[in-house]
Formats: sequence, C-alpha cells, structure tokens
Amino acid sequence: MRPLEMTVTVYASLTRHLIRSLLATLGIVLGIAAVVAMLAIGEGGRREALRQIESQGVDNIILHSIKPSEGNVQQSSRSFTQRYGITQADFDHVRNVFVNVRLLVPVMDVRRDILVGQQTTDIEAVATIPEFLDATRCRLVDRRSRFIKPTDGKVLDPVCVVGVKAARKLFGHLDPLGKTVVIGNVSFRVIGLMESPGGGRLAGQFEFNNIVCMPIETARSLWGGVTFRMGRGIAEQVDYDFLYIAAKEIDAIPGTAGRLRAYLKAAHTQADYEVQVPYELMQSARKTRRIFTIVMTSIAAISLLVGGIGIMNIMLANIFERTREIGVRRALGARKRDILFQFLAESVLLTTIGGGLGVGLGIGTASVAETVSRMGGDAGLTAVVTTESIVVALAVSVITGITFGTHPAWKAAQLDPLTALRHE
Amino acid sequence: MLTTSIEPSDAPLIELRGLAKTYEAGGVQIAALRPTNLVVRSGSFLTVMGPSGSGKSTLLNLFGLLIRPTGGRYLLKGKEVSQLDDDATSAVRCHMIGMVFQSFNLLSHLTILENVCVPMQYARIPRTKMRRRARELLDQFGLGDRYKSRPTQLSGGQCQRVAIARALANDPPVILADEPTGNLDEKTGQEVLQIFQELHRVGKTIIMVTHNPIYRKYATQTVTIHDGRAVEG
Repeated sequence: MRPLEMTVTVYASLTRHLIRSLLATLGIVLGIAAVVAMLAIGEGGRREALRQIESQGVDNIILHSIKPSEGNVQQSSRSFTQRYGITQADFDHVRNVFVNVRLLVPVMDVRRDILVGQQTTDIEAVATIPEFLDATRCRLVDRRSRFIKPTDGKVLDPVCVVGVKAARKLFGHLDPLGKTVVIGNVSFRVIGLMESPGGGRLAGQFEFNNIVCMPIETARSLWGGVTFRMGRGIAEQVDYDFLYIAAKEIDAIPGTAGRLRAYLKAAHTQADYEVQVPYELMQSARKTRRIFTIVMTSIAAISLLVGGIGIMNIMLANIFERTREIGVRRALGARKRDILFQFLAESVLLTTIGGGLGVGLGIGTASVAETVSRMGGDAGLTAVVTTESIVVALAVSVITGITFGTHPAWKAAQLDPLTALRHE
Repeated sequence: MLTTSIEPSDAPLIELRGLAKTYEAGGVQIAALRPTNLVVRSGSFLTVMGPSGSGKSTLLNLFGLLIRPTGGRYLLKGKEVSQLDDDATSAVRCHMIGMVFQSFNLLSHLTILENVCVPMQYARIPRTKMRRRARELLDQFGLGDRYKSRPTQLSGGQCQRVAIARALANDPPVILADEPTGNLDEKTGQEVLQIFQELHRVGKTIIMVTHNPIYRKYATQTVTIHDGRAVEG
C-alpha cells in the first residue's frame, strides 16, 4: 500500500471512533504534558539561577561580613564595641599571599541614610575603589558618565556614581549627572550613572542598580577608617563589608576558594564572614539539574509506560473488534505486512496526536503555573519551553507508539485470513 | 460495456490435480474435500452445488487461496499456486481473483467508493487512477450517485453490487462468489445473477457456490459435492 493510501486508511479507522481514540491517548497526553510542563519550569528555574549566579561574576569569589548572632554579641562584648567581619589584616593577607588574584576590590557599607526631600530611602551607599566596575560586571550608562578615579578621594569635592534605579528614585526623570545627593549630611556630586545588565546584587544583597558608590578614601576621611553604628548601646566595628576577589582564570577558583576558607577559619574565632563562590554554585546548579533530569526521566518513563499500556490495550481491543475487516482485507490482497503497518501506523498516529495534545497542555500548564506563582507580586516561577523539549516529547510519543503498537499489529498480521473472515 | 473483455480460450485457466483438504479435529481426520480433479477453462461459468456442509465452501476457499490444500496441486494459468509464500499468495488474490461474499463483507466505516478502492490500494494503483476506476465501476452498476454513501445506507442488492464492483477493481480473470444471492430476496437475487451473467458474457471466469438448483441453467459447467466428494455434472 502506498504511504498516502496508508495515511487515508489509518485516518478513516481512527476517526471512526473519535472519542474512543482520544480517550485512548489520555495517558500519553497527561504523561507528555507533565513532562513538558516540568521541563519548562525546570528550565526557567535553571536559567534564572544561572543568570543570578553569572550576574555575580563567575570568576569572582565574594567574601562578606556577617554580624554574629545576638547571644554571641553579649557574651563577647566586654567593651562597648563589637568588632566583626573582614578585617584589614584579611585584606592584606589576600593581597600579599594569594597569587591567582586579578582584582581585589573592597566594599564598605557606609551605613548612612540617603534622603529624598525629608524621606529616607532604601538606597544603599557604599564606598569602594575604581576596579569595582570591572569586578562586578556593572557598566556605565550615559556617555558623559565616568566611574570614580583614584584621584577622586583625594580632593575636597565628594563625588559619587549612582545606580539607574537609585537615580530614578532620587531625580525622577531629570538628568542626574552634575546633580547632588546628600549622604549622611554630606553633599556628593553625581559624576556617573551605572547599571548591572543582569540586575545583579552586591554579594547577593544590595541591588547594584539601587546603590550609590563613592571612593573609599572619601568615606574614610569623612567618617573614619572604620564604620561605627550604634544599636542597643553597642557600637559595631567592621573594616570591610564585602571583598570581591576576581581570579586570574576560572580553573584557579576552587583552589583559591579553598585556601581562602582555610585561612579565614584559622584567622577568625567566630563565624562572622561568608564566602560566596558563584562558580561553585554553578557547578552545584549543574548537579541539581542532573538530578532533576533523572527524576524527570523517571516520571516520564512511568507515565509513558502507563500511557503505552493504555494504547496497547485499546489496539488489542480494536483488533479483536475488527478481525473481520482484517479477514476482508487479506481476502482482497493485503499482505501480512500491509496489515502490520496499518495497525502500527494507527498506534503511532494515536500516540503522536496524544503527544501533540500533551505538548499543548504542558505549555498551557506551565504558563498557568507561572501566572499563579506570580499572583502574590513576588518574582515567581519562570517557565521556558525549549524547542528541544517539544521535539523530544514528540519523538518519545512516536517511540511509545511503535513500542506498544508492535505486539497488537503483529498479532493482527498473523491472523488466519479465513478465520478472520468468519469472525462474528 | 463492463470491463475489458477477455477472449474465451481452450487453455485451462484453473486445473486441480487431486486437490484435497483434510482437517484434524480431536485426533480424527476429517476429509473436507477428497482428492479432486477439475479443469476450468477461461470464460467458464462454474456452479458448485451441494448440501450444507458438503465441502462447497472448502473448495471455494481453496480456489481463493484462503486455505492451503493438504494434498494435490492447484494450477492457476499453469502455475502451481497452492504452496506460494504469503506475499505471493496475497499478490495472486489481489490481481487474479475477485471475491464476492454472501454477507457482502463491505467495510462499514468507508464510503462505497473507498470500499471499491481497497483492492487497488493493495495493487499500489495511483490514487487518481484508482478513484477514477472505482467511479467507473460504480457508474456501471447504477451507483453513480451514491459514491459517498456508507454500506449501511444501502439496500442488500446495492451492497452486493458494490461488492461485485470491488471484486472487479483489479480486473482479475476469476470471480469467486460464495452464495452471492443468499442474503437477498428473489427479485434482487435475480438482478445480481444477471450481473454475473453479464460478466460471464464479457469473458470473466465465474465460480459460484450456490445451493439453488435453478442457477444450474446459467452455468457452463457444474460441480456437485457430496460429503467432500466432487463430481462434475
């Protein structure tokens, strides 16, 4: 039989019991839908995680100071000053001892309010060095913008660079360049506008787009070499809040991170720091993805097994019901293989239609899940349907059709023509 | 008027040499057809008669290659066909033999046009040519306005005419008919019989199983079977 005729014949057979045919595919539809939806959500989650990791800079090791728990504070604070976090000694050690370091960028949280009118804002002011831009993957926005220079801290003209989000809050739609920002009663002239293309965060905390950067020398000359903050009668002293350590090459990261951890463990008596290594997060994200893939494959295999058995069941029932038709076709000249291919094509068409409907349902489910998860206003799930997942889903449908359709089709082909013809 | 006319010939179209069929049931051998010798010439109208269970259908099924004989030879156009493999047997059924059944055996989910096309699909005739041929045949049998009807929408006589059209689709030299009027009333049965006469007139070789002795008068040759023993005349 010619392929066109085969298609017409198979189509006519399936549309004969349309509802039954569609019900038969239900297992496949749901199985494929579950796989497509979960793959889409998984892929969305993976991309989001990677984006966040990459926005930290894959070649960076980020060290940041953490205030120890309250209980610790009271026990340890004989004086009124609680000292914690990254110290100048830590900074010097890394600069002098570590060899694979391309950039070493300290960042201080100046802990001073930034006002718009009389209102305090959530904009954070930080003090850093010119290499900050390079280490954090931030970039200047306006052509007239420039970042802080080594000489900026040495003149009595405090300058700052403003993140795009902070600029909108401070100046609305006005041009921020040349304008003044008041940080802790000191006026700073805006010399640049910067943004983080990935919407990244400083050590995963402050949004780069919502900070104001000033030269570290300026902060020191204005507020002293260390930061003090009053809280419940206790002052805090932190040398550096963040330290960006950019490795010369990616391969050097695990070794450098290991040495850094070992050094910090020895140098610090309390857990007052955290080491973030985006590269390690990326590796663990890959590992998570492998586990996810294994889980997904298992779910897919089980659901397709169930769906496939459903198809086999319906095909066997179909063949029993159409035994006489098989006899008639054989009497009119059909070969065994014509019968085999006809019934095999029917099961493959059934599973492919099921797969197609499943892909549609899966995409729908994923987008509903995305919408529902964002209803609270939070950044919820992101669903990303890849062409690859659709192709795989359809290919798996076809393979399921062949796998579970072969036995019934073979049985049909082996029927004795006369016995089949006499079947009531 | 009907299909391409086949010139009557003296050469035997079908030759049975000691053809026999034995079934085994519960260890007992049952001779459905005892060794039979028969020559059917091209253009013959052979009626196979006999009481129920005598072996008429066994003989017809042997002619139609739906069963294999347990002994003897079956020559079709001089070629042994009873021991061919499945593909070759199917090809003979497709191209050399047209079958008409008592219960029509039309496929109910297809239109009558599609039913007539079925044997041509297995002969791999191109679609356009196939549908043209099917329409011509249906036109000839007065069903030109019913192409899209389903068998369930037709009368018994119309169904049998569709079945005959289907049997003629690949223009086979032999038409096998198993009690083709058995399910029809007398008047319709007569009409169907006239079609077979017409087919015979244009040169088709007709082999018809019937238990109606009236049909003997249309035949050029008759075989009567009693208890599996076939006797000519």
